[in-house]
Amino acid sequence: MARGLDLLLSAVLLAGLYATMAYGLGLIYGVLRIVNLNHGGMIMAGAYMGWLLHSRLGIDPYLSLPLVAAVSFGFGVLLYRTLVMHLPRGAAGGVQSLLLLFGVWLVLRNAAYLMFTGNDQVIQTEYANKAVMVLGTSQSLNRLVVFGIAAVTLLGLHLLLTRTYVGKAIRAVAQNADSCTLVGIHVERIYMLTFGIGTALAGIAGLLGGTIFAFNPTFGAVELLKCFVIVVLGGLGSALGTAAAALVLAAVEVFAILLIPAYLTAAVGFVLLVLVLIFRPGGFFGQRVLG
Amino acid sequence: MNAIRRWMPEWLSPTALGLFAGAVAALHFLPRAVELSPYDHNQITLAFVFIAAALAWNWLGGFVGQVSFGHSAMFGVGGFVAARLILTATALPFWLTWLAGGAIAGLYALAWGHPTLRLRGPYFSIATIGVGEATRLLLTYWTQFTGGVSGLMLPINPDLKYSLYWYGLYFLALVAAASYVLRHSRLGLGLLAIKSDVDAAADVGVGVVFCQDLVLFLSGAVLGVAGGFYASYFSFIEPNDMFGFDRSISFVLMAVIGGVGTVFGPVLGAIVFVLLRQFLIASYPQLYLGLYGVLLIVVVLFEPLGLSGLIFRLTRRLRTLRAAR
Amino acid sequence: MNILRVEKLSKSFGGLRAVDSVSLELARGEILGVIGPNGAGKTTLFSMIAGSLTPTSGSVYLQERRVSGLPANRVVRAGVVRTHQIVRPFNNLTVLENVMVAAMFGAVARGLQPRAVALEALSFVGLADRAQQYPHGLTLVGRKRLELARALATQPQALLLDEVIAGLNPVEAIEMTKLIRVIRDQRSISIIIIEHILAALMSISDRVAVLDYGKKIAEGKPAEVVKNPLVIEAYLGEPQKTGSESTSRSDGGPAQ
Repeated sequence: MARGLDLLLSAVLLAGLYATMAYGLGLIYGVLRIVNLNHGGMIMAGAYMGWLLHSRLGIDPYLSLPLVAAVSFGFGVLLYRTLVMHLPRGAAGGVQSLLLLFGVWLVLRNAAYLMFTGNDQVIQTEYANKAVMVLGTSQSLNRLVVFGIAAVTLLGLHLLLTRTYVGKAIRAVAQNADSCTLVGIHVERIYMLTFGIGTALAGIAGLLGGTIFAFNPTFGAVELLKCFVIVVLGGLGSALGTAAAALVLAAVEVFAILLIPAYLTAAVGFVLLVLVLIFRPGGFFGQRVLG
Repeated sequence: MNAIRRWMPEWLSPTALGLFAGAVAALHFLPRAVELSPYDHNQITLAFVFIAAALAWNWLGGFVGQVSFGHSAMFGVGGFVAARLILTATALPFWLTWLAGGAIAGLYALAWGHPTLRLRGPYFSIATIGVGEATRLLLTYWTQFTGGVSGLMLPINPDLKYSLYWYGLYFLALVAAASYVLRHSRLGLGLLAIKSDVDAAADVGVGVVFCQDLVLFLSGAVLGVAGGFYASYFSFIEPNDMFGFDRSISFVLMAVIGGVGTVFGPVLGAIVFVLLRQFLIASYPQLYLGLYGVLLIVVVLFEPLGLSGLIFRLTRRLRTLRAAR
Repeated sequence: MNILRVEKLSKSFGGLRAVDSVSLELARGEILGVIGPNGAGKTTLFSMIAGSLTPTSGSVYLQERRVSGLPANRVVRAGVVRTHQIVRPFNNLTVLENVMVAAMFGAVARGLQPRAVALEALSFVGLADRAQQYPHGLTLVGRKRLELARALATQPQALLLDEVIAGLNPVEAIEMTKLIRVIRDQRSISIIIIEHILAALMSISDRVAVLDYGKKIAEGKPAEVVKNPLVIEAYLGEPQKTGSESTSRSDGGPAQ
């Protein structure tokens, strides 16, 4: 019983991270109709940025978050302005955007190999593994902090999208970009902004993930697939859906360790993805993700 | 000439047939006519197989328009089936093990592809990433079949490796011919219609499911045979290499660089890819990923039809220049 | 015997009943018009008959052979083909190739060369001289004619026309109307036609069915239907507009 609660809490804490990872991907797809295959690359970049600041300048990773977020945002905007903006829109752009952003990911991966070698790194702070008692189970401090930050980030995002003019403009563009130009919304600027925000979220999630998991330049690939599972399961445009789907995935992973060896848990995500895409492309909440 | 033309189907161009026959003949006699170093001889052999794989990938990715990031799954399945057969059923000739590998790989492609092809565009592609990686993880775990992380060692046959050149050449010739036929035949037109608008294609009578399943099987089977060939060539295969994401990407790159959707494009792309890889391994081994990435970006932004599109544009420009004079 | 029999066909999307228990019959050689306000379910009805949409309940019979539940391509082979409200040419194929796909796959092979069938269909609609062009080089009327040629190349028994006239100028509209009549007269193809341009539809239909909110509310000769108070209330409202005014008001077809 205690074991079950322990696992469940682990799942909840993990779900916070997963939800943050997935939201950026879903946001970009929902607004620009582009599947950002560089999402994994940005997650990896965020982890390395945090690691760099921590190991070279001694800055606590959670404190460096705003900086990493800002740099990621800037990179996303730059990426949009120089490359993504020139892609053809609509169905034709689908394959092209996949290939283009995948290319960017390859470049980032190579850069990481060159700068940091392929060895595993982790952002290790002294207090990270302190055990904290929560509901009678022991959880590590860093996971709790990650969950807290993730929750705050997602809440902030939710407020941004619902309470601010920019946020409402973003949601409007997601629904019907053409009509937006009629009411004076600068659609291209919204696209750029959204791409930046989505990228920033990936960077933040990467930084947070880097404090929990060991990472190397291939970090982000498995996470990307998990994000797809969450986005497809949870539907688009539904914060609740994303959160719920993240929880489902995290729970499946955490409890699957009881049955299969650890390194196969990644396979769980993939199999789940393929199954979900085949049987429930509409997800359980939100709109249909297909076409 | 007209007599010949009469028994040829109308979509078969005599020039293409002539060029094809000429190229095959030239390549057939090349190692005997020219003094090829063993290294070059083997590199060309490998190139034949990669070109064939790129062509087959393109049937699904370029002709039907469904980009697969997971084709290494079939490459690996074919390779390991062939390798297992070589190890256990020693009486079987090696090329038969390749065919067996191809058949199983084709069926595997059908198994995961048939339901997944209902998905369009990016969602199919994402699913293929999942398939490729899941196959890798699961089959690495299945050590009785793949030998786990250490892979499978095959008996080395030095005479075989030399003659693999011609096996590779005729394998490629078959796949290239199939590619041409597929593109120009009735089925090819149907595939293009599916690529353009799958629902409208069904609305005019195209059997979408059947056509896609056929391409899926053929594409997977050729990749499987290529995997078997690869196993015989190296006498050693291991799951992370065979099923790797990088390997899946190499197929995508070869076709995209050369020109998705054309018959000759993947040939060009594969040749460029192999040459590039050789150059990079020799001089800048740490840059190959980034270079592939830059190539993808450049192709997508500037010449979506790849090298063959570039060539097409240039010849057209030359033609208009000449006409203007 | 009727060519087409639609029996209590219904389609629900979640809670929305797009088509509610509609029954129709198309006699051999008949032109049946289907009208109704936007959102009445007309295109959804077509999609179900043609097989691109699975009915929630009900059946469709082609010459008393059940076709409902078959995938779209099998329905086309059986002899029913539809055109799309918003034209959907294959943009990567030439005009001729567009029609050849239909001839190759949609027509039950009768020893006819697909190329010949395609060329014939193209010259019938007047696009023969544009055979090697790509669809993006055609005007709207050209693309509508291409859509029509493609449908004809499948050698159908029943043709479902979804707003082939909307968006055309009055001259083009009259020509298209003539073409439709010729299709029925010379090729013995039975036709169901959805159209917003009431003048055109009334002038060529032998009978008219009226849909409103997914239900069939009236059916009969054009002259009778026009006088039916239910129809007037649901759709016509005021006295019937003339052809040109309707053209200028229709904006390319919102969902039906």
